[in-house]
Amino acid sequence: MELLKTILYILLYPGLIYCVIGGLILSGIDRKLLARMQKRIGPPILQPFYDFFKLLGKETIVPRNAAKKAFLAAPVIGLISLITVSLFIPVFKFSPFSTYADLIVVIYLLTIPAVALIVGGSASGSPYAGVGISREMVAIISYELPMVVSLLAIAKKVGLALNNGVMTFSLAQIVEYQAQNGPLFTKISIIPAFIAMLLVIPCKVGSLPFDIAEAEIEICEGPLVEYSGAPLAIFKLNHAIKMLVMTSLFVTLFLSGAGTGILVVDALIQFILIIIVMFFSITLLKAITARLRVEQTLKFYWTYPTALAFLSLILVYFGL
Amino acid sequence: MFEKLIEKGLEKSAWLYHLNTGSCNGCDIELVSVITPRYDAERFGFKIAGSPRHADIIVVSGPITSQSRDRLIRTLAQVPDPKVVVSLGSCPRSCNVFNGSYCVEGPLDKYTPIDVSIAGCPPKPEAIMAGLVRAVEILKEKRRAMK
Repeated sequence: MELLKTILYILLYPGLIYCVIGGLILSGIDRKLLARMQKRIGPPILQPFYDFFKLLGKETIVPRNAAKKAFLAAPVIGLISLITVSLFIPVFKFSPFSTYADLIVVIYLLTIPAVALIVGGSASGSPYAGVGISREMVAIISYELPMVVSLLAIAKKVGLALNNGVMTFSLAQIVEYQAQNGPLFTKISIIPAFIAMLLVIPCKVGSLPFDIAEAEIEICEGPLVEYSGAPLAIFKLNHAIKMLVMTSLFVTLFLSGAGTGILVVDALIQFILIIIVMFFSITLLKAITARLRVEQTLKFYWTYPTALAFLSLILVYFGL
Repeated sequence: MFEKLIEKGLEKSAWLYHLNTGSCNGCDIELVSVITPRYDAERFGFKIAGSPRHADIIVVSGPITSQSRDRLIRTLAQVPDPKVVVSLGSCPRSCNVFNGSYCVEGPLDKYTPIDVSIAGCPPKPEAIMAGLVRAVEILKEKRRAMK
């Protein structure tokens, strides 16, 4: 029975099928909202599904000077790690795979899709991919610092209340704290980290002001330039799931609580919150900004979001 | 297994790759106007892709100049099947006013079969949309023929 439940978790709800369907619907909603903001009619909400299945039906070309195994394995590795992240993120109080330090696991696993993109790009042997992967590395360096510092602020804040002052890296405990004391974004000391994390999401998922690695009109989608057919479909899927997982993590960290106790209702509330977070951090920014240069991205992340995250950490230590 | 879904996907999501082979820029601007809010080709799923590897429909504009001829042949070879070639404007079909020039090696059908040709100098956005919708039908037929 336990085994069956675990398999069901992995395949159905926080795992594979939820990730694929939820991610693709989320990116469809993103495209529709963006189109409405630009006074267009926009594609149907199911458009990412059409794109995905079309790409599955196309021919897969492996370039002659590509490293074939790495080229074809990279998207799958990214997909697997993203689905694993989704298993660790609690939906209100429902957390099937909660461990003692799952926040650290999540941080590491969230880096793997970006690394998979780098591996795939460098295996394809195209100069555009070379430019793309160097930019992807700069993007990783820029967003990791504010993200980790704001997570530390949360860990300390929760640890002070629930773990005798020691930082806690358990997402279940973070949810437990919010169930007792209300959502974390209402606490004064966490508000700067909240804003910093909101700014980290667009760079993490590679959406417009910070999509330096996959700049479509500049370097032809960078690492993806040589991909076609099914591997490209999986990379597009990765992109959609990354959006779902990052916003879901954000909701769990800042907007969570006791929930209703019924899984279906909780999942629905979580998804609605995800759409709201996505609207502010991804779609709105995409509609009103143009792409930054590489060094501008690095400079931006290492000044404002990092300063906000450190401010939050200091405020937590002062006990606010 | 996904045969029906793949066919539906092909119908609803065709990505364009725009190839300029020495065009005067008139047709290129008209093609860009198709994705603006006024005509919004994205509602049919059309999207301009950056790389020929991602493309389903190749839109060629311009008479084929000697500089661009080799690039044209190489780019067409890079596109995964099924693919559709669309000629945009009068130039790829007849070389238009550039006919007879020492550096023009058109028309396009010397190098590749053309599936849809959109006439005009430059064509209207409405005509381009009609041509692209026709190209999607041909794309579906080609997919059926591939099996």
